Amino acid sequence: MTTEADALVLRYLQDLESQLGDLPANRRQELLDEVAEHITAARATLDPETEAGVRSLLERLGDPADIAAEARDRFGVPAEPARPTPWLEVIALVALVIPFLGWVVGVVLVWLSRLWTTRDKLIGTLGGMSWLVAGLGTLSMSAQGSTAVGSGPLGPTEMSLVEVVLFLAPFLLPVVAAIYLGFRLRAHGHTPQAVR
Amino acid sequence: MRRMVPGKRESLIIQMRRGTLEYCVLALLRDQPRYGFDLVRSLAQADGLVTSEGTIYPLLGRLRRDGLVTTAWHESPSGPPRRYYQLTAEGGRALALFTTEWDRFTDAVDRLLRQGDNP
Repeated sequence: MTTEADALVLRYLQDLESQLGDLPANRRQELLDEVAEHITAARATLDPETEAGVRSLLERLGDPADIAAEARDRFGVPAEPARPTPWLEVIALVALVIPFLGWVVGVVLVWLSRLWTTRDKLIGTLGGMSWLVAGLGTLSMSAQGSTAVGSGPLGPTEMSLVEVVLFLAPFLLPVVAAIYLGFRLRAHGHTPQAVR
Repeated sequence: MRRMVPGKRESLIIQMRRGTLEYCVLALLRDQPRYGFDLVRSLAQADGLVTSEGTIYPLLGRLRRDGLVTTAWHESPSGPPRRYYQLTAEGGRALALFTTEWDRFTDAVDRLLRQGDNP
C-alpha cells in the first residue's frame, strides 16, 4: 500500500523535475524540495493513508506542467543581465585625452567599438584632433622663431580672451569629447539593443 | 490531470487573481509564520483563489527572491522539521501599501458597478 503511494509520489516529483528542466538548477531544486515537503506534510494528515488519498492529494497539487508554467512565468523573465564593463570603450576614453600617441590609440579604439554611432565616433575623433592642431601650431610658432615666446614673460594680462580660449581649447576639447562619448555610452546601455 | 483551455469566466478570474494572489499570501503571513502546506491549504479555502495548490510555490520563491518573505526551519511536532515562511519588514510595507490602494480601488469600482442600480 505505502509502496504504491510512494511510487505515485516519486513519479509525480520526477515528472515535475523534468518539466522544470529549463529553470536554473538552484531554483529547480528549491521548488522540488518545497513541493516534496508539501507532499510529506499532506500525507501526514491522511489517516489512514490510502492510495486514493495520495492520488487526490497529488490531484489538488496540480499538473506538474501547470506548476512549471507558473515557475517559468514567475522567474522566466530573466533578471536584467549585468552589463559587463565596456573596457574597450573605457580605455578608448582615457587614451583620447592623452596628447598625440594616446589620441591615436583612442581614435582607433573608438572606431573599433560597436557601442557608439558613427556620429559619436566622428565627434570623438574631431574633438581629440585639437591636440594635432595645437601640436602643429606649436611647431609653426617655434619655426617662426621664438621671439614672441622667448622674450618678455607672457603674463595673463597680456593675453586677450580669444588667446586664452585658443590656448585652452586643445586641452579642453578632447576632455569634452571624452565626456560626451562617456554619456553616450551610458545612454546606449539602456537601449534594448543589448538583448541578445 | 488535464490542462484546460480557460473559458471566459476562468480567464476573467485568472486575470483578477494575477495581481492579488501574492498579497493574499503576504496577508496570511501577517500575524504568524506558516509552513507551506498550512499556507497553501488556507489559501485554497478562499474560493476561486487557487486551483492548483502547487502553483503557490513558484510564487513563494518569487516573493523570497524579492525579499518580501524569508524562510526558517522549525521543529514540527510530528515528522521532519518544516520550512516556515515569514513576512519581512519590506513584505509588511508592501502589504500595507496594497491594502490602502486596494480599498481605494475597490471603492471606485464598486461605485461604478452600482451606478446602474441607483439612477
